[in-house]
Amino acid sequence: MAKILIPTPLRQFADKKDSVQLPGSTVGEVLKSLTGQYADLRRHLYNDEGKLRSFVNVYVNDEDIRYLNKEATPLNDGDTVSIVPSIAGGSAGIASPPAPAVTLSKDEILRYSRHLIMPEVGMEGQLKLKSAKVALIGTGGLGAPLGMYLAAAGIGRIGLVDFDVVDFTNLQRQVIHGTKDVGKKKLDSAAETMLDINPYVEIDRHETALTSENALDILKDYDIVVDGTDNFPTRYLVNDACVLLGKPNVYGSIFRFEGQATIFAYPGGPCYRCLYPEPPPPGLVPSCAEGGVLGILPGTVGLIQATETVKLILGIGEPLIGRLVLYDALAMKFRELKLRRNPECPVCGDHPTITKLIDYQEFCGVPNQHQETTMQASIDGDIDPVEVKSKIDRGDHFVLIDVREPHEYQICNIPQAKLIPLGDLPKRVNELDSADEIVAHCKSGMRSAKAVEFLKQAGFKKVRNMKGGILAWSDKVDPSVPKY
Amino acid sequence: MIKIEKPAWEKMVSHVESTFPKEGCGLMIGAEGVVQEAVPLPNSYSGPQEDFFVIDPKDLHRVDRESRERGLDVLGVFHSHPNCDAYFSKRDLEHSCPWFSYVVLSIKNGRFDHANSYRPDFDQTEAPKEELTYG
Repeated sequence: MAKILIPTPLRQFADKKDSVQLPGSTVGEVLKSLTGQYADLRRHLYNDEGKLRSFVNVYVNDEDIRYLNKEATPLNDGDTVSIVPSIAGGSAGIASPPAPAVTLSKDEILRYSRHLIMPEVGMEGQLKLKSAKVALIGTGGLGAPLGMYLAAAGIGRIGLVDFDVVDFTNLQRQVIHGTKDVGKKKLDSAAETMLDINPYVEIDRHETALTSENALDILKDYDIVVDGTDNFPTRYLVNDACVLLGKPNVYGSIFRFEGQATIFAYPGGPCYRCLYPEPPPPGLVPSCAEGGVLGILPGTVGLIQATETVKLILGIGEPLIGRLVLYDALAMKFRELKLRRNPECPVCGDHPTITKLIDYQEFCGVPNQHQETTMQASIDGDIDPVEVKSKIDRGDHFVLIDVREPHEYQICNIPQAKLIPLGDLPKRVNELDSADEIVAHCKSGMRSAKAVEFLKQAGFKKVRNMKGGILAWSDKVDPSVPKY
Repeated sequence: MIKIEKPAWEKMVSHVESTFPKEGCGLMIGAEGVVQEAVPLPNSYSGPQEDFFVIDPKDLHRVDRESRERGLDVLGVFHSHPNCDAYFSKRDLEHSCPWFSYVVLSIKNGRFDHANSYRPDFDQTEAPKEELTYG
C-alpha cells in the first residue's frame, strides 16, 4: 500500500483527487494500479511503447527512482510516490548582445532604414547584424545569393572560403560572378561584388580548400557557419567541425530541380550525421557538373539559408532547427521533415566516438590522388581523341559508341558515333559485335570507362575508352564542338 | 487562459532581468488559473545558460509539496528568452510537458520587453498560445 500524490493538472483524470492510496509492492505495480483505476492517466504517464514519458519523473518520498531501482523500486507501507514533470527549454537564438562600442554611422542608418523601421529588427537588431561574424564555405551556386544578401543585410564580418576560379559554366547560376570575372579567383570576384553592394562589410578571404587540418582554425572566429559546398567530404567536415566548436551550421543542398535546407549542429538539435550517418557510395549521387542543376534553384535554397542566418543573429521567429525543408521547383512545393538529434550519433550523441576531425576523403570513399593515378594507369586501352580522329580519317573499321544521354547528344556529338546511353547498354549489347574494334566515349571519360568495363566483362576484348570524352575532342580535334 | 497577479508578475520580471543575459526560470503557483505567487528557481543547466534552462526536479518536487500544504497548486513554469522574442522555441517544445502553462518573457538588453503564454500539446508537436493577463 502506498500513497500517490497526483499533480494538479492530472487531477481532472483522477476524480479530482489530489492523492490516492493504492496497492503494490513496487513503484511499477503502484503506477499500474493507478492507470488501471484511472485509464485516462495512462497516456499522460506512458508512451506507446509502455515506457514512462520523457517528461515524467517519479519520486519515492524524496528520492528520484532513476537513482533507486527505477520502476522496480520496492515500496513500504506509508511511502509516498510523487509524479514530477521535468521542466527545461531555451530560446535557441544567438543571444550574445552587441558589443557596446558598435554603432551605425549616418550613412549606414540611411542604408539600413528599411530594417530600422521594423521593430523586429530596429537599431538593436541592426547592431547585432553588424556585430555578427559569419563564415561562408564556398562562393558557388549557394554561396552567390548568400554572399550578396548577407552583405546587403549588413553582417559585420563575412569569411569566404574558396579556392576555385570562375569559369563560363558557373555563370548560369552563380550570380555573384559576371562574364568579366571568368578566369578570376572566385574569392576576389565574390568579394568585389559584395563590397560593391555594401562597402561597410568586412570580408576575410580564405583562399584554401577547407580541410581537417585548417577547418577548426578558420571557423573558430565566426558565430555561424553557412555551408554552401557541393560535395560529401566537405559537408561531413563542416558538420563535424561545427559540432566540435558548438557553432550552428546553416545547411543547404541542391540537385537538379530539388533542394534541402536546415540548421544543423545547433546545441541540442540534430546534426548532419543524425540525418545521414553514412555517406552514399562514391559516384551514386551525381554532382551538379554530372547531373545538372536548374540555375535558379541555388538562389531559392541559398536565400532560405540567408534568411535563417539572419533570423539566428536577430533571435526572431522560429529557427529551422530540427526541421528539414524540402523544396521541389517543378511541383513548386515546400515540404518539411522533422529531425531529431540521435542520442547514438557518433559526433553529437550522448557518448560521441568522433572527438576530433578525421580524414573525410577516406570516410566518403573518395580515392586520393595516389590511388587515382594507379586507377588511371590500370585502365589499359585508353585512346586519345586525336587517334580516334585519325582512325576515322583513315577509314579504319571500328565502332564508335557514345554512352551519354540523348539530350546530351543533342547538344553536341561526333557524327560517326552510335548513341547507346550507359543505362541502356546491358539490354542493347546485342547490337554490338565482339569481333569489332569498339571505342566508347561520353562527356569526360567517366561513364565511358564504366561502359568499357561492362563490355569487357561481357566478353568484348577489343574495347577502348576515348580519353577525356567529347570535351577533349572539342579541345584537341574539333573546336566547333560546343562544351557544356 | 492564465492570469498573473501583480506582485507575482513583478517578482517574475525582476528575477529574469537579474539573470540576464542568462535564462532565468521559476514556477507559478496559485489556484483556478490565477497565479498568486511566483517562485524563482536556479537555472540548473550545466552548459551555457544564455539559451537554455533546466529546473531541478528536486526543486519542483519541493515547491509542489509546499504549495499543496498551503492549499495551492503549481500552475505553470516561467522562463526568459534573453535578447530574443517570446516564441515557444523548438527546444522549448522538445522539453515541454503538457500539464503546465509556459510563460515566456522576452528580455532585451536586460529589460522586460514582452511575454506570451503557451500550452504545449501532448505529443510535443505544438504549443498553442493561450491568453495571458498580468499586472
